[in-house]
Amino acid sequence: MSWFWPEGFYTLAMITAFGFGAFALKLPIAVAMSFAAVTGSLLGGAGIPLRHLVEGMFGYIDTILIIATAMIFMKTIEATGLLESVAAWMIRKFRSFPAVLSLGIVFLIMVPGMITGSSTAAVLTTGALVAPVMIKLGVPTLQTAAAIAMSAIYGMIAPPINLPAMIIGGGIDMPYVGFGIPLLICTVPLAVFTALWLVYPSLRKKSHDPALEEELSRMARTPLTARLFLPMAALVVLLGGERMFPEVWPSLGMPLSFLIASAVGIFSGVKWNIPETVNEAVNDALPVMGILMGVGMFIQIMTLIGVRGFVVVSALALPAWLLYVGIATSMPLFGAVSAFGSASVLGVPFLLALLGRNEILVGSALSLIAGLGDLMPPTALAGIFAAQVVGEKNYFRVLRYCLVPGLLTAVWGVAVILGAQYIAGILY
Amino acid sequence: MLSFNKGTRTSAAFLLAFALVLAAFTGKNFLEMRRPDRVVPAPGFTSHMLSEWFPNISGTPVDTPVFIQDSGVPGGSVLIMGGTHPNEPAATMTAVIFLERATVSRGKLFVIPFANMSAFGHNSPQEASPQRMHFTLPDGSVRSFRYGSRATNPVHQWPNPDIYIHEASGQQLSGSEMANLNRAHPGVEDGPLTQRLAKGLLELLLREEIDLAFDLHEASPEYPVVNAIVAHENSMMLAAMVTMELEAQGVLIRLEPSPKNLRGLTHREWGDATSTMPILMETGNPSQGRLRGRTDEHLVMTGEDKFYAKAAQLGRLFIPYVNDQPMDLRVARHTESILTFLETLEFLDPEIAITVEGVPSYGEILEEGVGAFLSPVPDQ
Amino acid sequence: MTIIYRAIALFILVFVFRCMFREKDFWKQVTATMVVIPLILRILLIK
Repeated sequence: MSWFWPEGFYTLAMITAFGFGAFALKLPIAVAMSFAAVTGSLLGGAGIPLRHLVEGMFGYIDTILIIATAMIFMKTIEATGLLESVAAWMIRKFRSFPAVLSLGIVFLIMVPGMITGSSTAAVLTTGALVAPVMIKLGVPTLQTAAAIAMSAIYGMIAPPINLPAMIIGGGIDMPYVGFGIPLLICTVPLAVFTALWLVYPSLRKKSHDPALEEELSRMARTPLTARLFLPMAALVVLLGGERMFPEVWPSLGMPLSFLIASAVGIFSGVKWNIPETVNEAVNDALPVMGILMGVGMFIQIMTLIGVRGFVVVSALALPAWLLYVGIATSMPLFGAVSAFGSASVLGVPFLLALLGRNEILVGSALSLIAGLGDLMPPTALAGIFAAQVVGEKNYFRVLRYCLVPGLLTAVWGVAVILGAQYIAGILY
Repeated sequence: MLSFNKGTRTSAAFLLAFALVLAAFTGKNFLEMRRPDRVVPAPGFTSHMLSEWFPNISGTPVDTPVFIQDSGVPGGSVLIMGGTHPNEPAATMTAVIFLERATVSRGKLFVIPFANMSAFGHNSPQEASPQRMHFTLPDGSVRSFRYGSRATNPVHQWPNPDIYIHEASGQQLSGSEMANLNRAHPGVEDGPLTQRLAKGLLELLLREEIDLAFDLHEASPEYPVVNAIVAHENSMMLAAMVTMELEAQGVLIRLEPSPKNLRGLTHREWGDATSTMPILMETGNPSQGRLRGRTDEHLVMTGEDKFYAKAAQLGRLFIPYVNDQPMDLRVARHTESILTFLETLEFLDPEIAITVEGVPSYGEILEEGVGAFLSPVPDQ
Repeated sequence: MTIIYRAIALFILVFVFRCMFREKDFWKQVTATMVVIPLILRILLIK
């Protein structure tokens, strides 16, 4: 039994089956993923294991509830007019300070990610809020989507809540303590770079366009009353309370918090069609929910027939000097099945391989690199929703603009790992 | 482009029916996992439920059988607990062997083979675990045991919070750890099910004045705490004596002190909250590791895996691994370690000594296999 | 809390059904079907 045969062959076969389904047959990504999973199990001699296929989907049952309810929230604040009105207000207020504005925008997108640990939540809340602002201020659509996706990922990784770091730490019984500063080191420089690279140049050029004023008046047709902010305020209180005062605050979880905040929209003083809004939200979320189900099946079959072991041990078998290249490439690539999957499947073995360096810094850096997985198709939870928020159908066009900050993120992550001892010496 | 791509109400109805059939078919399989495994306690054991010590879990899916053999002769009280994590099967099987073989002639032996009963009733998504493992007995009959999940069944405790806060310490862990029994100790009186189960176990330890308590586990071969004893300060002296004795017998085992800042684990909380000497032990189980290849019952029973063999060559493992790590070896290690603890207890404090006979030795299990020491299940 | 989350899952499921029956693309209906299966099993507390 050679190293490659048969698991390496199964790996290629599953990827080929996915590509064939998605691009030649033009099946939706979700269906192509399940087609690839079944191909793998048939080749691997497991037949069509219905139990495994269905069980795999359950890995994302909580995630699909978060996605569906976050989308309902976004559609609600869009329907009440809050999104456009806030955008108009922000533009009027800050367009004379492009540098501050670009940093502020990136920070604003990061906040929900920092609090919830979910890039999707960041994209669909404040990401959706600032998208029209950026576009109106002259940031091209694709750059806008890229900036939202990158900022959402940095938000997911930044403290206080970083779920990939918790997953990686949990794998080696390391409590989630002392990650605050290391995670800031990982994210803040990159966030600043993203603001200056993707947002600032366009803001500087267009910030004094007189034709803007007419558009702003249209956008601000719903007056910005305190009541209009109720859903957003409710969400901040619900999610913030749970994170800031975990000992006393009831643990509602993100889906329930999003739904309550959406329901609060009823009191915002604007009438809108609720069932249609929910329907539209679920309809828009369905492709991604389906993709996650397909990915769940795919991972379960990968594990069943040995492809997962092949991938992990192949990465670990890289010679020392290539290990870092392996980390910087395999973790984002494996993120195709979600950043969390990458953190668990690859992050833990890599951290074990790097034991002896400062584990908190290494774990933080690995979580940063795993976070890039949310850019990787087919799941691309940050990227696809960011494209959706700006109305771009083809995510790959957005991905092009994520390339520079994405690469820099991977390089920065590796740099933090390499310098872990040095940084730890300064910090502790 | 495929030709039939038009969606109608009829096609939706057809797909919905298909989904219902699939849900029914797989649902039946999932429900079958919840049927408890049968055990055949050795003569002298009496059968109880944990809720007798902690009524708060009565009637819940986490109530679990507790078997007691009281010799009537004064001596120590010892608890052997397997099944904290049902995906670590050598732990369960070791407890089952003590349950089905032990004769206690001094002191009192408590056995809990399936500590987290709820977690035995399902498998973790994306782990592709086999649902059962089978053992052939000398009379040719076959017994099977469930290979469950590390976590309490979400059907019984859902949803997990985003962040799990260990109540006694305020320590924050990833939300999924809320369903991990070995992060729930010392338990919470009216907490979520897993935390209540932990509280029930603590009540048992306190009320029965257990002197020595084993929490049996397995770990991934790539994890540093494997083939190891983890001991609280209370039990460190005893554990050190046992480690040396085991080494003399050729069973190499690490001794790790229980970390003070990692909360919720038996070896920390039981020691802090009771006068028990808690001992957690780990063997190396490739079927729960992240480096494993094909995942099936064969892997669970033999530990044969070419990727682990490769990882061993790369120096990534913390157990001596050549080509396998069979169940028989893992159960033999746990069993021999427990027997050595019981023997050593005599030297530490004769008043809490316990005498247990009839349990196979390391060599016997390796030679004859685990199945040879299970009892046939009588016809119902 | 479990009962609330079952209700949330049911709420989403109802809208997934609605989308499924209004959808004009067969393969998008298949995608919705994939979401339906785990939601049903979780609402019924089977898996």
